[in-house]
Amino acid sequence: MELFTLLLTIPILYVFFLLWKWVNDLRDQQCYILDYQCYKPSDDRMVGTKFCGEVIKRNKNLGLNEYKFLLKAIVSSGIGEQTYAPRIMFDGREECPKLEDGISEMDEFLHDSIGKVLSRAGISPQEIDVLVVNVSMLAAVPSLSSRIVNHYKMRPDIKSFDLTGMGCSASLISLDIIRNVFKSYKNKFALLVTSESLSMNWYTGNDRSMILANCLFRSGGCAILLTNNKALKHQAMFKLKCLVRTHHGAKDESYSVCTQKEDDQGRMGFHLSKNLPKAATRCFVDNLKVITPKILPVRELLRFMAVSVVKKWKQRCGSVPKGAPEGPIKAGVKFKSGVDHFCIHTGGKAVIDGMGVSLELSEYDLEPARMTLHRYGNTSASSLWYVLAYMEAKKRLKKGHKVLMISFGSGFKCNSCVWEVVRDLDDGNVWKDEIERYPPKTLLNPYMEKYGWIQDEDLSTFKVPDEI
Amino acid sequence: MESYVSVEWRDSLHLLLPSAPRPSLNLRPLLRLKILTPSPSSSKQHLLLVSFLPLSPPTMPDFSTLVKLKHVKLGYQYLVNHILTLTLIPIMAGVVVKVLRLGPEEIVSLWSSLQFDFVQVLCSSFFVIFVATVYFLSKPRSIYLVDYECYKPPVACRVPFSTFMEHSRLILSNNPKSVEFQMRILERSGLGEETCLPPAIHYIPPSPTMEAARGEAEIVIFSAMETLFKKTGLKPRDIDILIVNCSLFSPTPSLSAMVINKYKLRSNIKSFNLSGMGCSAGLISIDLARDLLQVHPNSNAVVVSTEIITPNYYQGKERAMLLPNCLFRMGGAAILLSNRSSDRWRAKYRLVHVVRTHKGADNKAYRCVFEEEDKEGKVGISLSKDLMAIAGEALKSNITTIGPLVLPASEQLLFLLTLIGRKIFNPKWKPYIPDFKQAFEHFCIHAGGRAVIDELQKNLQLSPEHVEASRMTLHRFGNTSSSSLWYELSYIESKGRMKRGDRVWQIAFGSGFKCNSAVWKCNRTIKTPTDGPWADCIERYPVHIPEVVKL
Repeated sequence: MELFTLLLTIPILYVFFLLWKWVNDLRDQQCYILDYQCYKPSDDRMVGTKFCGEVIKRNKNLGLNEYKFLLKAIVSSGIGEQTYAPRIMFDGREECPKLEDGISEMDEFLHDSIGKVLSRAGISPQEIDVLVVNVSMLAAVPSLSSRIVNHYKMRPDIKSFDLTGMGCSASLISLDIIRNVFKSYKNKFALLVTSESLSMNWYTGNDRSMILANCLFRSGGCAILLTNNKALKHQAMFKLKCLVRTHHGAKDESYSVCTQKEDDQGRMGFHLSKNLPKAATRCFVDNLKVITPKILPVRELLRFMAVSVVKKWKQRCGSVPKGAPEGPIKAGVKFKSGVDHFCIHTGGKAVIDGMGVSLELSEYDLEPARMTLHRYGNTSASSLWYVLAYMEAKKRLKKGHKVLMISFGSGFKCNSCVWEVVRDLDDGNVWKDEIERYPPKTLLNPYMEKYGWIQDEDLSTFKVPDEI
Repeated sequence: MESYVSVEWRDSLHLLLPSAPRPSLNLRPLLRLKILTPSPSSSKQHLLLVSFLPLSPPTMPDFSTLVKLKHVKLGYQYLVNHILTLTLIPIMAGVVVKVLRLGPEEIVSLWSSLQFDFVQVLCSSFFVIFVATVYFLSKPRSIYLVDYECYKPPVACRVPFSTFMEHSRLILSNNPKSVEFQMRILERSGLGEETCLPPAIHYIPPSPTMEAARGEAEIVIFSAMETLFKKTGLKPRDIDILIVNCSLFSPTPSLSAMVINKYKLRSNIKSFNLSGMGCSAGLISIDLARDLLQVHPNSNAVVVSTEIITPNYYQGKERAMLLPNCLFRMGGAAILLSNRSSDRWRAKYRLVHVVRTHKGADNKAYRCVFEEEDKEGKVGISLSKDLMAIAGEALKSNITTIGPLVLPASEQLLFLLTLIGRKIFNPKWKPYIPDFKQAFEHFCIHAGGRAVIDELQKNLQLSPEHVEASRMTLHRFGNTSSSSLWYELSYIESKGRMKRGDRVWQIAFGSGFKCNSAVWKCNRTIKTPTDGPWADCIERYPVHIPEVVKL
């Protein structure tokens, strides 16, 4: 009899253990996106082929070789005719910017997007508890988060953070802060504001590794409203499933890939080294190694393990030659089994193509990223949200779908996260008025057509034409 | 016994400014007494009224009544603060007497008559264990400050008054009025002759290139971190969280990436680079580290607070913007925080509270410290004339939140009684001013400038010993922005004043306008350190700092 009651203690212990785990999990707070608003600058800031040509001509330091290089860069960039630039470019003052240009560029974005997202969600600014701002290339006093608190008259006990210098992956780092704060406090609202400041960072020299940054970045931004209030679960759009950050700063080649420094003449610019694709791939692979087990179903993981074991055995037998495979690394895992949509950072055409091959994605999967690059250019940290808005406008996001966001940043970082769609979404957001026109029939770059003749010019006979 | 009453209140309290003549500041008149709002995030509703009496000359009672009053006050404090123990003692005494009266045989028979049912005992013991586990799990994790290290600049970087004035005369040779202004500021600043500026600023004219700025960042941050690693035995690969805050310099890649590259930190490190948040950014980083350490068990965090002067030295002639040049100096600190139970024994402090107040909603407060371009297009930080008044406002907001969390029950009860008395009996009763000296043994006030320390000393009614750490840090190191709090803490330790159980209050102000405070409790009595920034000069301190140093 005694033995029996002793044996009974084991299931009782187990029941108590489950109860304790359940109570513990209740404390784990989830992170929901209530709404987000991408920034669409006014049309007078649109930059087309002709205007780009004028800007390049304005820079007296550039010669024929630089023109050829620039043309090649712009043509292969995948950027279209309707991207946006800061106002300073239209005034012709990009070589001598003032602090107020940078600030007013930010103000235009802040006053627009934040107001819209708060009014649409029906939340007043005084209800915001956490504010995280990430703008990589501008550090002002008072900080941009203080500017927002001042303009919207937010509460004195707000938790505000201002991140800078973290590159194009900074919006996921801000998300990491918000996610951690949400786990310790109940029923909070958070505002994530991400953008990039271009006015103060125009490179006026002719070092080729630095001119690239001038052509690639465009104006954009996004304001995202998040909460961990369970009662608002049904109004929410997305739920955060996991977030993984990988930092390769310990490797010297990865660290020096994107550096802000002065060139030989003392002009400040962003140096992008030739190792960028290799460093990005390495970091991406490391990041995938961590996030893949968290998002793929067990079936797929087992299949992948089986395949790689077989491959290793074959290698050992000698039937498959060892050595690094040529070309881009294929993951070998079917990501489509666990993830339905892919938000890829629109760093450039090469980045999107590279990711497409690594993850074995179809054109359908890459379309949102390509179209965002075409329409808005590389808006740095906020580009992921434009891609997400495209998917939403195309009515691709249905309840239960999973979205994988991947971004890269200087340092070298690769951050990724997975969102689960909470309800069917169909709002147009920034793509509202033009979504029917996408995808366009041809993505042929108009720059090639207009400026292709430069490739044939010779240095000795070249003269800058008056009419570009 | 802790009983708190929630009272509705409206926030409006002005601080009385010092009556010493300061022609550049507006003297705000006296205070109206009103009630204040508790912060919405506090779970317990506390009440606190902070008010300050008008400065009418007090009538001095004679010595014997003073002593009697003191004893009464002490007795009252002891009674209220230990009310729980004092009520338990008679109950325990009663039980013991009753048990003794019963006699030993009766006790034995009482014991054996208790029936033990196995299942009942099992269930009740599991229940007790379950409740205990849930309680311990839901307690927030304790955050410990294992150790910290402040950067000590080399002697070659020193800027005595004569060097500074000579530089000023050579650079601003066309503006004698600005030179005169700088001299006046320096005379009254409270700085000493040993403060340091980075090498690039020693050039005439200064040469603030990006490389020089990065060089300064590397020297300051890396030497502080090396010493921290040596002192704590921390291996770089063990760092889980890294937070770097530097207000005005944010290169790409960020300073946090620079640290990760130098020390080859792990690839899954959580790194954050905060900027633009002014002199209070150090406490914001501590707040962020605390939130992260609550979520990640068994981790440690390294917080690096610094301010890089090289790119921000104002090179124009606008007077309001020359002020920071006179005050800001080179400095930095690296702090190791942990929530591991193994670090509990060797940690120096435990973090008790962090309270953040942001007055950005008020336009005047927001424009108080502003980075802008002068007429010639040179960028500098202009400090408005209302700085003191706004600092007072921000401090008041912060105190209203932190007061209920830290003041002992005796102070709060007294205040409550006075409030009830004023409301019900006689509105003419004098309002009670809580005594913060009872809540804290040490005060670390951000060494923003002499005026800030004077202001806070008057408003919080602190003695010169309490603000000695701040004044001496200002004298020896200047205003090192977010790291100044750590130099002050190091001063207190070097003087051998830090004992186990002492509570420290760190207050910092920042642009925007923010007032942040942190409360630490000393974990173990700290021996006077033999190294550190104060090691070679602590015997000379405290020095008397005259009101005006004639130059």
